[in-house]
Amino acid sequence: MSLDVKTVLEGLNKKELVEIAKLRKISIPHNWSKSLIVELLALNVSVDDIPKIKMESLVHRVKSNSAPIIVLKDLVKKFEDVVAVDGLNLEIMEGELFGLLGPNGAGKTTTISILNGIIKPTKGIATIAGFDVTKNMHAIKKIIGLCPQEAAVFKFLNARENIELFGKLHSISGKQLEERTDRLLELLGLKEASRRKTGSFSGGMLRKLNLIIALISDPEIAFLDEPTIGMDARARRKTWEFIGRLKEEKKTVILTTHYIEEAEALSDRVGIIDYGKLIELGTPEELMERHKAKNLEEVFLKITGRRIMEGV
Amino acid sequence: MNYQALVILVKMELKKAIRQPANLFLNLLFPAVLTIVFLFAFSDPEMGMDVNSLVPGLIVYAVIFFIMTIAQSFSSERQEGLLRRLNTTPMTSAEFMGSRIITHMLISIVQVVIVIALAYLLGFRPTGGIGGILLALPVVAIFALSSVGLGLITATISKTPEAATGISFIFILPQMFFGTFIPITSTTEQIASFIPSFYVVDALKMIFKGDWMNSNILLDLTIISIISILVVLLGIILFEKFGNR
Repeated sequence: MSLDVKTVLEGLNKKELVEIAKLRKISIPHNWSKSLIVELLALNVSVDDIPKIKMESLVHRVKSNSAPIIVLKDLVKKFEDVVAVDGLNLEIMEGELFGLLGPNGAGKTTTISILNGIIKPTKGIATIAGFDVTKNMHAIKKIIGLCPQEAAVFKFLNARENIELFGKLHSISGKQLEERTDRLLELLGLKEASRRKTGSFSGGMLRKLNLIIALISDPEIAFLDEPTIGMDARARRKTWEFIGRLKEEKKTVILTTHYIEEAEALSDRVGIIDYGKLIELGTPEELMERHKAKNLEEVFLKITGRRIMEGV
Repeated sequence: MNYQALVILVKMELKKAIRQPANLFLNLLFPAVLTIVFLFAFSDPEMGMDVNSLVPGLIVYAVIFFIMTIAQSFSSERQEGLLRRLNTTPMTSAEFMGSRIITHMLISIVQVVIVIALAYLLGFRPTGGIGGILLALPVVAIFALSSVGLGLITATISKTPEAATGISFIFILPQMFFGTFIPITSTTEQIASFIPSFYVVDALKMIFKGDWMNSNILLDLTIISIISILVVLLGIILFEKFGNR
């Protein structure tokens, strides 16, 4: 019976779980991971509480959805004479899967790099959960996970060693790390290859591993920079399913892509970016309706006169 | 400082040293091959180059090549996006750089053991005995710092791992020619006085002879420590500012 409760609890995000614990007067240490909180709550709530839990989490979701977790204000990034990001203004809500769509060189990766503290903005403000990316990166790093565009893995380590290395750098260890590693390897179909050196991996396998490493710390905010680039159709489908799960878990996901169907299928809202500027914002349906277009490619074409895949 | 992160990174670096063929060769096999070849080819007591006088140079020779392995490692990790990825974890720069320094100090100690063990089989008998050998370990480990620093400076200048290999020789060659086992003339001595490896070889020769009370050892150690610390700090600052992206 407790399994049913656990399943419900696993579908909630960490803030919702903490809220439920508070309502039940259960104290949760600040540094506890989501899975530990689920374990504790599963012992303290019965199956009869499930409808109540669902209602409480819904109330929390409505409350928390009013606050943006990522805020960009007049963000500018220049590389000598090239303006990569040009006065970007954007708010991304907690639990939202936000698609940043645009051609190559539009400024998507530069924006992600600023938000991950890899490069500093030339001007403007970028905050994550209220923390300024130029001043509080150490706090931000504890709640984010980055899946970079290139498959950045150590080739002399096997898949499991790579995942565990990054997990440990996020202070996860022991059984918790092992379980999480197994779960993610299973979900992305890499379990059998987990002891193989990554030097022998195909491009698609490396990209999946890239994604697992980004999510091993169970981050509240995941930045997925072109996560399916170079994957075959089957692997891409599987990865979409996986990203869909993150959405169900109410993680905040920022997905950059130049695959139209990916943005349409996964995103709650889409921001279309071109020459470093945000040129459209809304749900995929809203954008298509606004521009009387059949898909987001047509939306982009109508605004810019170019196709996304053509590049800039 | 998160010591758990430091330990994890040191373990990862040690795996790299063993599992990557080029690193395995340069870090462990190269000192062994060098010792065997040089002791057979150049050991000539009549020319004043007996086994005992060659060993300090061989040890230093091996450590100098850290410049190349470190420069290659940093520049390839930068090129593959690994440094950017590591930078997005809660790991700090101090933990990252500290792990590289500790790893290379450990490898330098292993190199000393390899060179001495093989040299012993080929007739190396230091009059300083085991005490001299034990004293040599920290001296070489401190010298390894300067190679880490020069490796970082090389990686900062180089755009690719291939370029890093070539550029590393700017720092390797002078140390090879003016500071290892190649005899120093009155002309080259002036140049050698600016080369850290010269002081390490000088100190090791006295240490292996058991001449521990010689005040020149302390002078050599002071110079090695100052140069090594300054070079590694300069390397870290330059790499963090210009080479880390």
